[in-house]
Amino acid sequence: MHKKSVLCLMLLVLSLGFLFSCGEDETPVKVSLEKREEISIRPQAAALTYAYLPQYSHTESFQRHNRLVEYLSQETGLSIRQVFPDTFDDHINKFGQGKIDISFSNPFVYAKLAGRFGGEAFTRIIEEDGRAEFRGKIIARRDNQEIQTLEDCKGTSWVAVDPSSAGGYLFVLGHFVEHEITLDDFAEVVFAGGRQENVILGVYSGLHDIGAIREGSLSVVEDKIDTRQIKVIDHSRWYPGWVYAHSPRLTDETVAKIKEAMLKLDYDDPEHRDILEAARFKGFVPSSDEDFDPIRDLSKKVGLELD
Amino acid sequence: MTDRLKSFLFRLRFRTKITLGMAAMLILSCVIIGLTLSNMASTALLEEGKKRGSALSSGLAFRLAEPILATDFLQMKNLIDNVHTQYEDVVYVFLIDTEGNVLSHTFTGGFPTDLLQVNMDPSDPQPLLLSTEKGTIYDCASPVLLGDRNLGTVRLGLSRDHLEILIQRQRWTALLTTLGVLTLGLVLSSWFATTVTRRLNKLRWSAEEVVQGNLDIQTSSEPRRHCWEIMQCGKQECPAYADTRRRCWYIPETLCEDCQNIGHRQKIENCRKCRVYRQLVGDEIQDLSEAFDVMALTVKNHINELIEREKTIVQQQGLLKTIMNVTPDFITLQDRNLKYQFASKAFCDYFDLKEDDILGRTDFEIFPEEQADSNYHEDRQILSTGRPLSKEVTLSRKGREVWMHVLKVPVYDQEKNIIGLLLTARDITMLKKYQEQLIQSQKMEDLGRLAGGVAHEINTPLGIILGYTQLLLEEVENDEWAEDLKTIEKQTKICRKIVADLLGFSRYSQSTSQPVDMNRSLEEVIKLVEHVLSLSHIRIYKSLDPNIPPFVGDHERLKQVWLNLINNAADAIGQDGVIYVKSKLCAHRQRIIISIADTGAGIEEESLSKIFDPFFTTKSVGKGTGLGLSVSFGIIKDHGGDISALSPPPVEYLPRDFPRSPSYGPGTVFIVELPLEGKTLEKENEDGGHCST
Repeated sequence: MHKKSVLCLMLLVLSLGFLFSCGEDETPVKVSLEKREEISIRPQAAALTYAYLPQYSHTESFQRHNRLVEYLSQETGLSIRQVFPDTFDDHINKFGQGKIDISFSNPFVYAKLAGRFGGEAFTRIIEEDGRAEFRGKIIARRDNQEIQTLEDCKGTSWVAVDPSSAGGYLFVLGHFVEHEITLDDFAEVVFAGGRQENVILGVYSGLHDIGAIREGSLSVVEDKIDTRQIKVIDHSRWYPGWVYAHSPRLTDETVAKIKEAMLKLDYDDPEHRDILEAARFKGFVPSSDEDFDPIRDLSKKVGLELD
Repeated sequence: MTDRLKSFLFRLRFRTKITLGMAAMLILSCVIIGLTLSNMASTALLEEGKKRGSALSSGLAFRLAEPILATDFLQMKNLIDNVHTQYEDVVYVFLIDTEGNVLSHTFTGGFPTDLLQVNMDPSDPQPLLLSTEKGTIYDCASPVLLGDRNLGTVRLGLSRDHLEILIQRQRWTALLTTLGVLTLGLVLSSWFATTVTRRLNKLRWSAEEVVQGNLDIQTSSEPRRHCWEIMQCGKQECPAYADTRRRCWYIPETLCEDCQNIGHRQKIENCRKCRVYRQLVGDEIQDLSEAFDVMALTVKNHINELIEREKTIVQQQGLLKTIMNVTPDFITLQDRNLKYQFASKAFCDYFDLKEDDILGRTDFEIFPEEQADSNYHEDRQILSTGRPLSKEVTLSRKGREVWMHVLKVPVYDQEKNIIGLLLTARDITMLKKYQEQLIQSQKMEDLGRLAGGVAHEINTPLGIILGYTQLLLEEVENDEWAEDLKTIEKQTKICRKIVADLLGFSRYSQSTSQPVDMNRSLEEVIKLVEHVLSLSHIRIYKSLDPNIPPFVGDHERLKQVWLNLINNAADAIGQDGVIYVKSKLCAHRQRIIISIADTGAGIEEESLSKIFDPFFTTKSVGKGTGLGLSVSFGIIKDHGGDISALSPPPVEYLPRDFPRSPSYGPGTVFIVELPLEGKTLEKENEDGGHCST
């Protein structure tokens, strides 16, 4: 009996220890979940809208242009806010709807904006290679021995960035046409939703035989894939580079302030360099609508309508 | 702890103690480990819950960056609702921008604005515990960052109650698991205690059996294989072979190659490297059991040896006691204090004493004071000097006088210390009588010889006197003279008769003839003188031919011859020697040959021809008369025999194993040849016909 009592006592201590150990020492903050209100978003303050043609993800777009937008706001004293259209068409449509005041787009889209909604170019960028022009590239997997020349691209699956993409479609299509290769010569032509990265990844994964990207896009995916596995089959001609266009609703004074601020950016200035390096270009040059006539010619040549 | 509890615990069975001890340790260990692990698990669960809430909100914040940039409320809503519906412990999720606008949330029927009053700074410690109507909630806030820009904050409410349920479930699981482990541990500990104590109990039982004298115990278990099976040595002569009771390393002098000619300690060291040891060795209890078995077996063998020795000792003691009791000699042993430690039965009987009356007592308590005092001084002399004492004494008891030859010698221990005194005393009364008879016989012989010699000398003049007397008688006519002459003749004849009687005395003319057992006569003489001669360390060897037929002669006179010859031999030896007596029937020469050889000084060649002459002796003055051999010669001649002597004795008269010693002389052999009944002794031919003994 004595032993049983000792055993029972020890088991009881054990059980209690298990059940009541670990006391809570945090003090909770009393909050009522029952006290509710219908809430709505407060309207945003009026600001100029700045949009970057969504050739990359919104995050990439934000990180590239956020500082530039802030700089322009500070420099011009204007309230400028970056907006993010989802696609090329969305960009074009929002520009037409007046939701984008300052558009940074490729020359092909610009030609459409100018033709359709009266957009007007005022600056062009200087690419990282120092040129105010850029071109398209035809890429394939390095281990794809069947595709060595432009001629080998016939009958392949071609992935392009967007029907409105310049370097990622138009320039390359023009290059094919110049070499008497038409869209009908490909097994398929698909578009990657406006994302340069998707084109490269599509080729890298082997889903498509060739891809069309703009100059400089490979560096964007250097931290994601081994870009040495990608080879460049051919390049297109050089065409005028990316362009800033303003909505026809903006006043000339406003445009001038913005243009001036842009042109003021000096790559040799450390502060400005940070802004320009984030945006992946070296500076700005003045631009006008005539600069993009080769684009219009090219569009006509390949049978694409701009208006 | 009270004495009563101590006493109670002390009285418990060893198995119960082990079980209780292990149970106590198990329970204590389980309580400590269980509580610790339960605490750790609970804390870990809480921490994991918090981290999970933070991870969910952080992941959501990461995915909400693009919808915020695109102002895509649908995607925001979808992402938030996805998390909310996917995890049932997520109470709410909402997203606010940097302006404090709630961009999206999971609440229906309005937004609880209180939430916008708390945890608004993501840099505060996360998560924040909230107490709400729906229980306690961990509110996890994660900023939506894009580079160094903050786009907003995701707030996620994780139910703490849900975590508590998990923690409680974990505690019950831990409790039940611990109880299960504890139960299993108790069962195992009970089994373990039973296993251990069973072997200990067997050891205890074996010890009790040993105490009760049963050494045929087998405590250790027999190995599955034996050394000779493992080694396949086939050495059946090895002491370990077929020994199933002991492991081979407990057995000394096994015939393993590595164990020969080495000590047991070295052998044990070698065994530890042997594969037999590695295969058959057990745990400590097994070792203890085996050692116990070996000890029991060794003790048993030792006891058996002791029993055998005791039997032998008892047997020897009985034999010794029998000898001591049977022997007519007195034998006593006294210690240094002259207290008797042993007394033979003859001693006790002679003095009408019991053994218990003698043992442990001195002479003063047993004998008259005068005799005891004499013995005391005599004994002390021996104990102090270490010189033995030999003497002949007469004892008179119950009107009977007894001659005893007493020998007292000191007794030494292993360290050459005198520890006692041994007395032997032999009744030599008969010997003394024989000696007296012998002396008397020698006296008579000597007297006879003397008388014979004198008579021989007187006989001639007597014959002349008688002759002249008879001549005168024939010539004298005077009757008176004739009468006188007749008187002279008569008296002369009387003298001749007296002389003739003297001559007859000297030659034992009264001898009688009867069949004599020659060997028996020899043995009688040998027995008579054997003891006396042994005092001078003279031993007598005999070789008697059982085929000798009875010889018709004078038994006593022949014994006198043997006595004379043996005494002569003993005189020639002096001290320390051997006499060899041999009888043989020489059938082809019809004679009996008796030879008596000795290891004495020998006889010179020129003396050999004179030794049988009367009065010739080589002994010093007073030691002999020179009549012994001449009398013996006469006796043998009377029996038709011959007696001769050779010195040194030819080997054919000696046995092959006749002892030799540098101190022995060349020796002499006396050869007596007696013709068989009805035969005469012929002279020896030169060509042989010799019949040696």
